[in-house]
Amino acid sequence: MNQMTSVPLHPPPIPGEVSFSGDRDEFRGLVERGAGLELVTFGFYRFWLATDIRRHLWSHTSVDGDAPEYTGRGRELLIGFLFALAILVPIYLAYFIIGIEAERYKAFASFPLFLFFYLFGQFAIYRARRYRLTRTVWRGVRFWMDGSGWAYAARAAAWTLLTVLTLGAVLPWREAALERYKMQHCHYGDLPGRFEGRGSELFKRGWRLWLAAAFPVIVAILAALVGRIGGLPPGGSSIVGLLSLIWVFALPFIYGAFKAIEWRWWISGIRFGEVSFQSDLSGDALYGLYWKVIGWFLLILSLFVIYLITCSWWILGFTDMVHLASRLQGSFAITAAAVVGYLGFILAMNVVLRVYLLRDLWARVAASTAAFRLEAAANVAAKGELANALGEGLAGGLDVVGF
Amino acid sequence: MMSGMDSGPDHNSENGSTASQPGNPCVFYDGTSSRRHEVRLELKDHLAINENDTTLATWPFADIRRADSASGMLRLSCVTAPSLARLEIRDASIAAALTARCPHLNDGAAGRHGIAAIVGWSVAATISIVAVIWFGLPLAADRLASLVPNALERRIGDAAEGQIRGIFGGKTCNNASGRAAFDKLMKEIGTAAGIDTPVRAAVLETPVPNAFALPGGKVYLFSGLLAKADNPDEIAGVLAHELGHVRHRDNTRNMIYSGGTSFLIGLLFGDVTGSGALIFASRSLVTASYSRDAEQAADEFSIDVMHRLGRPTKPMGDLIFRITGSQADKTVSILSNHPLTEDRLKRLTDEDRPASGPPLLTAEEWASLKAICIASKGPTTPGDH
Repeated sequence: MNQMTSVPLHPPPIPGEVSFSGDRDEFRGLVERGAGLELVTFGFYRFWLATDIRRHLWSHTSVDGDAPEYTGRGRELLIGFLFALAILVPIYLAYFIIGIEAERYKAFASFPLFLFFYLFGQFAIYRARRYRLTRTVWRGVRFWMDGSGWAYAARAAAWTLLTVLTLGAVLPWREAALERYKMQHCHYGDLPGRFEGRGSELFKRGWRLWLAAAFPVIVAILAALVGRIGGLPPGGSSIVGLLSLIWVFALPFIYGAFKAIEWRWWISGIRFGEVSFQSDLSGDALYGLYWKVIGWFLLILSLFVIYLITCSWWILGFTDMVHLASRLQGSFAITAAAVVGYLGFILAMNVVLRVYLLRDLWARVAASTAAFRLEAAANVAAKGELANALGEGLAGGLDVVGF
Repeated sequence: MMSGMDSGPDHNSENGSTASQPGNPCVFYDGTSSRRHEVRLELKDHLAINENDTTLATWPFADIRRADSASGMLRLSCVTAPSLARLEIRDASIAAALTARCPHLNDGAAGRHGIAAIVGWSVAATISIVAVIWFGLPLAADRLASLVPNALERRIGDAAEGQIRGIFGGKTCNNASGRAAFDKLMKEIGTAAGIDTPVRAAVLETPVPNAFALPGGKVYLFSGLLAKADNPDEIAGVLAHELGHVRHRDNTRNMIYSGGTSFLIGLLFGDVTGSGALIFASRSLVTASYSRDAEQAADEFSIDVMHRLGRPTKPMGDLIFRITGSQADKTVSILSNHPLTEDRLKRLTDEDRPASGPPLLTAEEWASLKAICIASKGPTTPGDH
């Protein structure tokens, strides 16, 4: 800023580099070994595996040359899970009894009780983020989070209701509002976080994809209209069939493009004090990942089916195909073999999902990201308390995902 | 910087005055702020962390622990320092010299969880859960079922009834003469079975060939089964079988048992499955053997009732075989709830005795019962809802 130039007053900020240096084979080894241990421990190893995965991802992601440290422990997740059980078991029982009472008045009247579980799930998502954040340490200062999980859950439920009523049109505003609430309560030391992404921005970038995803609904409405007027033109049904086929093949592209837009929008909206982030993730960056997952899924599924057929032939013999079906009934050996095969199928899929949709996605998103004005975080005072892992346990117990 | 214990300040000044140089391999964060301190290390009888000429911290070697980091960088913490104070060393030789002096470096480090301990405890927990499923739950279900008050059982039954009607369309057949024949049949079976309270029973119009008892003792016969039946003895055997379930409170026992089983199996697998499919499969596997016992007991009951009525038991077996025999070609139900095992069929045949009592229904009554669902749009009001 020594001379008058045409450059605007603010010097272009020097971006702090965000990069991911994790070795892919190392991660694959980690999750393969983890899947094996999950099998041996009947699933109990999942708490330690999740911890190892996070440690790997955190410690290989460097922001301005320094990688964060994940300080969580598998033991904490196990305890969180046990606490969640202690809370969920009485609730399931109460749910059961209330359900009986409600059903007595009208069949399926207990449906609103699902709302209650939805709230619990959202609460779990909030608290799970809080746990992860308080276990994240960067430059000797931890992230932390306050705010109320229940207030968040109420907001999430209201927005979801609105989203359903508008066939997803308000989804961008839902995401913006919920993220704003979450980020408002995130802190790095004494540096408060906030979220500046706007719903309208996400809508502007994503509405075409929304239309594309809702394409069959639109076609169905149009077809109904045409049908009312004068029936389909000759060959109309084959055109509809062709369009549906195209749509099915387009879905991974639509989803991949949407996810890329969402990631870019989310990262670019994050602020911690003066520190901001920017992602230039391109729209086609994630297609490959989703197609690879689909390919692996089909491969593993075929192997599973071949395995099942082989098992039934082997156990029941190759002859007498006529009564095969009746002989399959109640066969303990067949069911046991199917369970084993299914376990293998699930564990193999878990490895695929973790490698592609966790590690690879993480690496691509990190590589697309830059941080600005990091000097604002150069001297942040430590603050914040550790949160417990109850949210993680609840999220596991209720099978909800989100962060 | 330092390459050993004796490296003094003079050594440090040679290549250690590079504090401001970007390549300084030692960075310290004091745990109270995110300020980056480029430091020189001094290894005396403890570790001194110096920035320029001031000592920022001194860490006893015995208190130094390894913190999590990627390979290529050693990250240390100290149990007697602020918990988030970190020393990062990006130089292998310095790291080696320092770690050689720290006797408890790896105590409680991340990723050093004893795999053997986790596996051991998991296997122990699994064995105990399986033992509870295998031995504890059936016992608990037997004991608890008799403690469930009748009123609650009936409520559960009413709730289930609402759902079943929702699924199957829910039309009860009430053709007057058919109804009379059905009531007569039910009454005869009920009396022979020694059930004094009137059994609530109805024929439901649906093509599915089935019959079942609800908690609280309501018996439903599907018209699909009635259509496949050739004589009253076949239907009577099936109804007696269902009454056996009512008598043994199988529904309530089963509910307690399968509820407990799914809960415990869910506990075991958690989210490894990503879905309930595995829970469902393993539960079916476990409950199949349990319900097979219940089916056998209900068969016993049915045989007993038919003997008392002086009617043959084989027709019921014939009816079930007629249905499952033809169904088996189409559907592969590995875990049918009403498995017609060879021994079940054999038992019904073995216990068969020639008819000694009067027929349960006259030919005319049997014809009306078969026609119970053919709408009598006249005097009777359809259904009770």
